[in-house]
Amino acid sequence: MSAERIYGLLLRAYPPEFRAEYEREMVLLFRDQCRESDVRTFGFWVAVIGDVVRSAPALRVEAWRAHASENTQTVEVIMKLAAMLTLLLGGVIGILNAAVEWVAASQQSISGTHEVSIVLGVLASALLLAAGVAIVNRTQRGRQVARLAVIASLVTIVIARLLFPWMSVLSQLVGIGLPVALLIALYWPQRASPLGAA
Amino acid sequence: MITISTIDIQEGAIGTKRQTGRPPETYLPLPPATFHILLALADEELHGYAIMKGVAARSEGTVRLGPGTLYGTLKRLLEAGLVEEGGERADPERGDERRRYYRLTQLGLCVARAEARRLDAMVRAARRKKLIGVRPA
Repeated sequence: MSAERIYGLLLRAYPPEFRAEYEREMVLLFRDQCRESDVRTFGFWVAVIGDVVRSAPALRVEAWRAHASENTQTVEVIMKLAAMLTLLLGGVIGILNAAVEWVAASQQSISGTHEVSIVLGVLASALLLAAGVAIVNRTQRGRQVARLAVIASLVTIVIARLLFPWMSVLSQLVGIGLPVALLIALYWPQRASPLGAA
Repeated sequence: MITISTIDIQEGAIGTKRQTGRPPETYLPLPPATFHILLALADEELHGYAIMKGVAARSEGTVRLGPGTLYGTLKRLLEAGLVEEGGERADPERGDERRRYYRLTQLGLCVARAEARRLDAMVRAARRKKLIGVRPA
């Protein structure tokens, strides 16, 4: 087996991206070294293997970190899209749900607190919709408006729940579950991203 | 504000990530192999083998860069914006295959100068302490 073939096998210790970029240059350099050294000596191969052992692990770790960073960014983008869709859907479902409750309640005698809680439910849904629109505007100010709107929606729906304790499970999920999930989605990835990308 | 890349140097390795406006002094101290490469590229474009030979000659054989160490460091320097590629061509002295040439960027030159100043200050301090520059009794 020729020295160059052995070196070709040793190069497999390096990450594929690094090999794709520098393998040809490294083989050329190794060829130059072979011309000027005696490849049959033990010392030559100790130096060659020592170089691979010193440099390959660090490059592997860097490649792994780069992949991890890319994955974090991808997860963040997916979470943001999911957050946006959830907010918009939550807003629409919340308003429709409030309308259904209003129609159902109006067929019986509707109390004042029930009326207020339904109006607050609609307001909470409108705030969710506003948060969804604010997230679409991908600026720092848009994110702040979205956070405030989500918090306001959460507070509003909790007040509605306290006023009228017979809200449907769907109302509670849409009104409380969504804002809580969205608050997490809006805050957590912002801190986790190494680039702080919005 | 000019956007540049940055390098974080820890125990001989340089990690890269994008940031803005980092002064050259914050890259220091450079690992010896990195400084030797910047030094080799200070006044001319060179390919990998020429860098390796230059470093070995300048360090009187004490620093020997293998292909992995050399190209690993060059990759980091490229990503950090301290070095850039100068194209591919055959070496007129060797007359063989086309080789990729590398050269220093303005930022790379500033970092190399900052490191040289740092080392110079250390040597002057060592001289004041009579660690060097005096004949042993």
